[in-house]
Amino acid sequence: MTAQPTNAAPARTAAVPSTTTGADALVDALLAVGAEHIFGLPGGAVLPLYDALYARPELRHFLVRHEQGAGHAAQGYAAASGKVGVCLATSGPGATNLVTPLADANMDSVPMVAITGNVPSTAIGSDAFQEADIRSITMPVTKHSFLVTDPALIAPTVASAFRLAASGRPGPVLVDVSKDALVARTARTPLADLELPGYRPVLEPAAPAVRDAVSLMTSSRRPVLYVGGGAIRSGAHRELFELAETTGLPVVTTLMARGAFPDSHPQHLGMPGMHGTVAAVAALQKSDLIIALGARFDDRVTGARDSFAPHATVIHADIDPAEIGKVRDVEVALLGDLRPTIAALVAEFRRQVEVGASPDYAEWVTFCQGTKARYPLSYDAAPDGQVAPQQVIQRIGQIAGPEAVYASGVGQHQMWAAHYLGFENPRTWINSGGLGTMGYAVPAAMGAKVGRPDATVWAIDGDGCFQMTNQELATCSVEGIPIKVAIINNGTLGMVRQWQTLFYNERYSNTGLRGTPSRPEVRAPIHVPDFVMLARSYGCEALRCTDPADIDKTIEAAMAIDDVPVVVDFQVHQDAMVWPMVASGTSNDDIKYARDLAPHFDEDD
Amino acid sequence: MSRHALSVLVENNPGVLARVSVLFARRSFNIDHLVVGPTEDPKVSRMTIVLNVGDEQLHKVTSQLDKLIEVIHIEELSDPAAIRDQLWAINDNGPRPVGAMAAAWA
Repeated sequence: MTAQPTNAAPARTAAVPSTTTGADALVDALLAVGAEHIFGLPGGAVLPLYDALYARPELRHFLVRHEQGAGHAAQGYAAASGKVGVCLATSGPGATNLVTPLADANMDSVPMVAITGNVPSTAIGSDAFQEADIRSITMPVTKHSFLVTDPALIAPTVASAFRLAASGRPGPVLVDVSKDALVARTARTPLADLELPGYRPVLEPAAPAVRDAVSLMTSSRRPVLYVGGGAIRSGAHRELFELAETTGLPVVTTLMARGAFPDSHPQHLGMPGMHGTVAAVAALQKSDLIIALGARFDDRVTGARDSFAPHATVIHADIDPAEIGKVRDVEVALLGDLRPTIAALVAEFRRQVEVGASPDYAEWVTFCQGTKARYPLSYDAAPDGQVAPQQVIQRIGQIAGPEAVYASGVGQHQMWAAHYLGFENPRTWINSGGLGTMGYAVPAAMGAKVGRPDATVWAIDGDGCFQMTNQELATCSVEGIPIKVAIINNGTLGMVRQWQTLFYNERYSNTGLRGTPSRPEVRAPIHVPDFVMLARSYGCEALRCTDPADIDKTIEAAMAIDDVPVVVDFQVHQDAMVWPMVASGTSNDDIKYARDLAPHFDEDD
Repeated sequence: MSRHALSVLVENNPGVLARVSVLFARRSFNIDHLVVGPTEDPKVSRMTIVLNVGDEQLHKVTSQLDKLIEVIHIEELSDPAAIRDQLWAINDNGPRPVGAMAAAWA
């Protein structure tokens, strides 16, 4: 493959000089590949780039308060809009602050380009001030990382970074540019990608594999569609809907796939995994065929691997060949983009039925529907006068509706949000699934709102998570990004506390955010910070809800504010737990519907 | 577990050796021998990697290696003689450890 121009050369006029600075070339390249928004924070090594941005208002820059916020904002932007998110940071600590978002984006296959400045190439390797080898640091947590010291290579590297980020299995790409390359002049040339001879993503599945897969599907009795985040990233939701309706098969959607298939659809059994619904977990465990669509058999889905779905053969559709067979042996591999893959499965299924295949799933569907009816999601009422966190989240989902976009942090509130918000549309659920990054919600919601300005964007956050990244509320206020934040405030690191309750004899070691009463040297209980005062200090509207009777009117009041960010402090009861649950390291067969309550599967039902 | 030799063509870029070794470390694959040398194309280098793994592991190694953007082509060398020849070829005017590695395949 040779370098091909990816867009036409700008018309040469007398006004356009034949050379440009590396910084201007970088901005030109960003605009040429379609970037419109960028989240970042300047510093010494990227000063030339910021100087170039000063003159280019068409590339809107959002000044964050911490580079981690820029990274998660770029992720939220990408996840909500489907476009490549862009973040920008300076060398050294600026760059290392991006490592968490990059690792997060790598786990969750988020298309994102991170641009960092580095010290001048003559100083690289000298332990210069604010020098960090970010290209090497990010090797294991990015799809690829570049270091550019030649100004002529800046534009093609940026173009290639965008191509890499968005194509194949999407992911984060880092472009580190030395300061001298940003300052130096280089020829203005038509934008061309780098030559990447080793990069050849397979996009269309092989026809024989599709035939084999469908033959397995039509001859099996208990197949289940196990849908992962790939269905969202590839935009395969319509094809998935058609496959589900054509086959009548039960569907489970993983944490990363919530919204890929409507929650309201009768075939949808919900989310599988450690905190999955009983119906979804049972469908996988008892299936004879798992049709994995853009899913990767994560340990949070499989539980103990040796007892996961013991009777199932596997069809695995994925764009990443390294995922196929990584965890679970497969009978048929469908390598390619999920959208054409599912479309091909639908067409082949119809063809095989036309020529006489007669799949019979009736008994299986009855079993799955029976489990779903018998073990619906449910939660205990909160003790007297207290607010149940699940109810808050459920009501936000009902009042804001399925057209809204929801971002979440990590922990109990994330699991409740995944279960109770109610998803009907793809790209409306934005969370940190693989890496499990606390503090993801506020900056991700900020990015999502920039990517989807017309949508209502709620961050469902915990009080622990919120305290990690709430500084971005300042960004939201200053830059005019009116997100809504629901703090599910239980005064504790709730998911860790839940494990301490269940597995560590209620020894609440360092999970109480209001202090630990058993330790006399600690002042407890003490409610700090006051989230309402904190939010107001950031220029946000702020509300507080402590009474279950006020939940609806508080949410409605928050919905009525759309010109400034709004933060709601929902003070909820501390002992609420996430159920169902499969204890870590145990078999999915040992799922508990509630504490000490195992579901009973009577397969004759 | 058995010994396998992979011939891996990579882009001759700075950092590519680090990228390959980071991958092996991260996925807990152990390298027995590693030789890097030039090819007739100055933009391409050849890594000859010898590792002691089961067949299933080998498949995982190659599919993870293949994901690296700078990895162009991977081939398993099945013929010990070919491996030895290749190692000796690299060893021409090269350091003695490569010769020792080649001798190990004799």
